[in-house]
Amino acid sequence: MGGDRVMNTRPDKDAVKNGKAKKTGVVAGLILLGVLLVALPPFMNPYGESMITQILIFSVFAMGLNIVVGYTGLFSMGHAAFFGVAGYTAGIMMVHYGIESFWIIAPASIVLATLFAALFGIISLRVSGLYFLFVTLALGELLHSVAWKWRSMTGGADGLTGIPYPSLGLPFIMNATHFYYLVLIIFVVCVGLLYRIVKSPFGSALQGIREDEHRMRHLGYNTWMYKYLAFIIAGFFSGISGMLFASFANVMAPEHLGVHTATLAVLMIILGSDRVFFGPIIGAAIVLFLQYYASTFAPERWPLILGAVFVLSVMFLRGGISAHLIKLWNKMGSHHASTKT
Amino acid sequence: MQALKLEGLSKNFGGLEVLKDISFSLEVGEHAAVIGPNGAGKTTLFNVISGALSASSGKLEMFGRNITNASTHHRIQYGLGRSFQITRLFPDLTILDNILLALHGTKPSRYHMFHKVAAYDGIMEKAEQLLQPLDLWDLRGEKVKAISYGDQRKMEIIMSLASDPKLILLDEPTAGLAIDEVPSFISTVKALSGNTTVLLTSHDMDVVFGLAERVIVLYYGQFIAEGTPEEIQANPKVREIYLGIEESEGHAES
Amino acid sequence: MAELVIHILNGISYGMILFLLASGLSFIIGVMGILNLTHGSLYMIGAYVGLTLAGMGGNFWLAALAGGVITAVIGLILERTFFRFLYKQINEQVLLTLGFVYIFSNLALWVWGPFPKIASAPTYLAHSIAIGSFSFPVYRFALIVIGLIIGAGMWWFQERTKIGAIVRAGMDDKEMTMGLGINYGIIASSTLCLGAFLGGLAGFLGAPILGAQSDMGFPILLLTLVVIVVGGEGSVEGALVGALLVGIIDAFGRAFFPDLAMFTVYAILIAFLLVKPSGLFGRR
Repeated sequence: MGGDRVMNTRPDKDAVKNGKAKKTGVVAGLILLGVLLVALPPFMNPYGESMITQILIFSVFAMGLNIVVGYTGLFSMGHAAFFGVAGYTAGIMMVHYGIESFWIIAPASIVLATLFAALFGIISLRVSGLYFLFVTLALGELLHSVAWKWRSMTGGADGLTGIPYPSLGLPFIMNATHFYYLVLIIFVVCVGLLYRIVKSPFGSALQGIREDEHRMRHLGYNTWMYKYLAFIIAGFFSGISGMLFASFANVMAPEHLGVHTATLAVLMIILGSDRVFFGPIIGAAIVLFLQYYASTFAPERWPLILGAVFVLSVMFLRGGISAHLIKLWNKMGSHHASTKT
Repeated sequence: MQALKLEGLSKNFGGLEVLKDISFSLEVGEHAAVIGPNGAGKTTLFNVISGALSASSGKLEMFGRNITNASTHHRIQYGLGRSFQITRLFPDLTILDNILLALHGTKPSRYHMFHKVAAYDGIMEKAEQLLQPLDLWDLRGEKVKAISYGDQRKMEIIMSLASDPKLILLDEPTAGLAIDEVPSFISTVKALSGNTTVLLTSHDMDVVFGLAERVIVLYYGQFIAEGTPEEIQANPKVREIYLGIEESEGHAES
Repeated sequence: MAELVIHILNGISYGMILFLLASGLSFIIGVMGILNLTHGSLYMIGAYVGLTLAGMGGNFWLAALAGGVITAVIGLILERTFFRFLYKQINEQVLLTLGFVYIFSNLALWVWGPFPKIASAPTYLAHSIAIGSFSFPVYRFALIVIGLIIGAGMWWFQERTKIGAIVRAGMDDKEMTMGLGINYGIIASSTLCLGAFLGGLAGFLGAPILGAQSDMGFPILLLTLVVIVVGGEGSVEGALVGALLVGIIDAFGRAFFPDLAMFTVYAILIAFLLVKPSGLFGRR
């Protein structure tokens, strides 16, 4: 029957051993990374610690957004709106109303961001493809204008400054290192949640919709509902990272709601790889490092560099860096197993 | 209660009438085929039945339920299944992922966000049951875009059967299969439970004669004739449509 | 009463600029399937280039043409070097064109500096006439006339010429049109050039009333997109009606609710999305 099937159906022993070796390698690597993340920072200089904190915060943003972009295939350019809503809410609560408790600020800002996502999702999903993109863009810019105009609340173009760290109710005052650990814990929890979602029937369905929405409907899936839920879930994680960002950066500005921040997040996804679970984390690291170096050596030209990175990554890095790294990784294993026909 | 009932179903695109006033019904467990030359509207008919297109007028009932305005995914939940003439699978996902999606589709588990997709009682067994007979179980870790076209066609059929639909639409199911694979396809369909209603379209007369108890003939979107395969074969109007010139020269071939 | 007329005229003249932009972009999207976010940048480049040329003592209208031609050439280069590898890959197109938006606006900042440039209309059009107790710039009338002429020309091209028919057919089904043996590639590239030309032209013609600034690309792009959503993709009449509608509503918004500025535009967008996403004259 299958003259077209040349590959052997029983995996050869070498490949199995290789697969197991690689798996232990990955797990060991993750454990090592985890240990480093926990143990190092108090000993790092403040810039390094700050950089890692920022990478963790944006990783949550990018990975959450990837649920919509990479897994569902919907190009949203407006999720910075929810990042910003949460950030401003947290900032306003702390600066204008003197609320300090993390346990009030976090839920409030995240819930508000998620509600906005629920609203914007309904509007955006009225159209698809290019127009979906435009609309998400426009809605983000709408909030951008709101932040710009509402000086009394948001500080207008100058932004909302002086945003402190929230208080956890612990007996000491929060400093940068404590905040780092808070971010780390939240990061780990978020990654865990995202991993479960992605491996679940729901996560699988999102990918099915990306591949062939028509077919998914013919398998019984209410595809609109999935797209809507994915949009909201991404909004939820955008909100978490926005809330953390407000305290990290000390300031929230209108641009955090608009297209510039949205495209930064998208670039992180594309550079890191939208088809690999951890891709956006790597993308976040790369983009933030680039931003840091650009601001040190050529701050005026950062948008130019950013634009060039976009163009180059689209033309030459199709699939993102992580995808290429994984291909390399797989190739390394296959040098041991020979192809037997 | 009939499995499927079409009453005066029509479909126009702008000024173009693709389906004109189609009416017929299928009893539960019946195997029927829709045939007609290219352009007769067979795929459009399937699209209207599955909800991919909405009917311009007329009524559609499935198992006693009026589905004329129901969305596609609801029709699937009510027991419909459909395979496509041009393979529609999920290329970047593995065979296993594809079949699991098909299996979860009609169950509440499809909305679960915190269980692993394969960690459901009996689901892997069901997947194996579906894939093994067609030698696809061992390939389950391969991405669909990497398997042969013939294997993809087989996947196409299995995917539509995975949810145990009560009414299944098979659109040119043997297109792309090798000649020697057709008999095994026919026996797969015959092996479906007696309550499964099958409606298929095919250009392959072996398939039509092998599977259909009743044949419905469409021509330019109009219902021309229906009957057993033998009756249709002998029907002069049908012969004229298919054979055209030969018939008018007076040669009657069996 | 006179005030009303002023606002309407303001809206219409502004709408004409939007019309030039929107019709160009709409055809580029419809014909080439390319989501060209750099359209706003082309507008900006057209404005700056035209201004520089006019500033060098050139004739206003020649400078306008030159601005348009240069943006057409840029558009062609972009298409040949980058876009043609990305047919149907919407996400990649978005990222690519977004990258160019950043590149162009930063380059413009580098070359022309951060302060907005004000342009002046040609002297014979630089005065105002009285409408009621208000004065209204004659230049804006000129814009309305130009817009109508170009609009009529495009409509004639779309509906009455063979090439226009081919373009429309291609929008509906590119593969089929190619299968008919028509060299769609050349037509597509020409449409892109025409679209880019219109964008640059709009930039320069709009400069006397809107100025030129390195970061103006994005806001004008958003407005253009609203026009396309309202008017519907791929039709000249849609772009015209949509642009006039958006222009007039924006003018009234600025006049009566100055604090809300862009919100009226966003409100239109959201209203249309919720009620009629395909736009007034949409092909789909």
